[in-house]
Amino acid sequence: MAAGRGGSGANGAATSISCRAVSSGYLGTRVLKGITFEIDRPGIYVVLGPNGAGKTTLFRTLSGILEPYEGEVLIAGEPIDRPRARDRLHYLSHIDGMPDGLTVREALEFYARVERAAPADVDRVLERLELRPFADHFLARLSAGQKKRVSIARIFLREREIYLLDEPTANLDPRLAREIRTLILDLSREKIVLYSSHNLFEAREIGEYVLAIRAGALALFDRIENLRAARFVVGLRVLGPNDALAGYARQGEYYLRELPGPEAVPGLLRELEEKGVQLREVREMENPLEDLFT
Amino acid sequence: MTSPDPADAPPSLFGITVRRAITSGRVYLVLGCVFSSLFAVGLGFAAESFGGYGALLVPVYAALGGMGALMVFTSDRIKGVFEYLIAYGISPRRLFANVLGASCILVAIVLAVSMSVALLLSLGRGRPFPLSVTELLLGYSLPMSFASVAFAATVGMFWTSLSSPREGMNSPIGLVPILGVAPSLLTLIAAIATGRADSLALPGAAVLVVVLLVLLLLRFMERLMPRERLLSPT
Repeated sequence: MAAGRGGSGANGAATSISCRAVSSGYLGTRVLKGITFEIDRPGIYVVLGPNGAGKTTLFRTLSGILEPYEGEVLIAGEPIDRPRARDRLHYLSHIDGMPDGLTVREALEFYARVERAAPADVDRVLERLELRPFADHFLARLSAGQKKRVSIARIFLREREIYLLDEPTANLDPRLAREIRTLILDLSREKIVLYSSHNLFEAREIGEYVLAIRAGALALFDRIENLRAARFVVGLRVLGPNDALAGYARQGEYYLRELPGPEAVPGLLRELEEKGVQLREVREMENPLEDLFT
Repeated sequence: MTSPDPADAPPSLFGITVRRAITSGRVYLVLGCVFSSLFAVGLGFAAESFGGYGALLVPVYAALGGMGALMVFTSDRIKGVFEYLIAYGISPRRLFANVLGASCILVAIVLAVSMSVALLLSLGRGRPFPLSVTELLLGYSLPMSFASVAFAATVGMFWTSLSSPREGMNSPIGLVPILGVAPSLLTLIAAIATGRADSLALPGAAVLVVVLLVLLLLRFMERLMPRERLLSPT
């Protein structure tokens, strides 16, 4: 399965990820089984799957942490174990990766050293991620959200072509999660971003493509807009009760109505307006991505 | 943003590992310095009657002082720092070497403090150590201190990597100080049992055994501890 045409990397070579019949796992136990896909177009690729499906293993394999038992991972045509291939990608694991005993500034200097970024980049990132007020605080004293922000800050130390982000907004409050999503959206304009998340609405909001992993195999790779839920149900929130909605099922504040598809929404709105229903909100109640978890 | 040559070798993290080991293991380091200095005082004041045992006790506390590096190893593994470092091209071998090297630096700090105290006291009193004590210090205390901490660090790294995170004495960090002091403690007990605290033969043999054990463990390190073991279990 492949996505579109190629972008151009910093050194002129096309940026791409090729995962060719990759099987990998831990200590001989296979978690991924023969995964094949090719990504050569910038954008956000959401990796979805139930817990234990192999999402983290996929990220670890693509980043070169795990060596495949079979198959190969190529970054811009080069095997991932080559320094030039590694140097094209950023990897953010699902855990923070915070070194103990350091302040925020020292931690970023530690990352900058690993990344071979300049000291000035640390100041730039402190500013960009609004970390300057905590710069001299020890990591151990930060809240979980602040730690996550520091953890994410490291991917902004140096620009790379490919970003592998394993649940970057997990356990964050909605405001911070939104900020992080905005930063990632900024990043993705010219980059390939693989992004795993359990938040289906977030995935649908920012993703262009979806890679669904199920039991270690690639179950789907497609544009998110091509996915359709088994049922198309809209929820209507209204300003006041109305007899026209008497026969509707309820879910919390929402009146539910099943439609043949999104194209039927304008007709429904006209019908409700004619009946004097004052709408406050209309939303899709079933996310097609949910089907990928069943 | 800068664009370094990807072919450049990954940067050395040894200095920062040492600094973090000192910060994380400062309690062990202070304990190691205080107790080994106390025995150094014993060496300075009662060298002839107490010196042999004092020299045999120095590695026990020196090894204790070097535990900070292993604390960094355990923390980095559990918190996903190794995962990050491996993804950026730093080999597991270098990670082990950093921890081993940092352990030895911490031991060197403990020894530098305690030996300075002993030397100053000895010079202050105008009485040098007896030759047998000097031999024990050079032939046993110093090498056994490094060998013990290397043993503790190596076994500790295996142990940590094979374990799930646990708190308290059952955690690898809770047990490793015991491992670290075991070789020198056993040597001390054997020396007391045989009444040969001032002879270098038994302690010298013990040093050799521990060094060989460490070399053996290091030889099979990559086979015994593949990179999967360095990833966070959470």
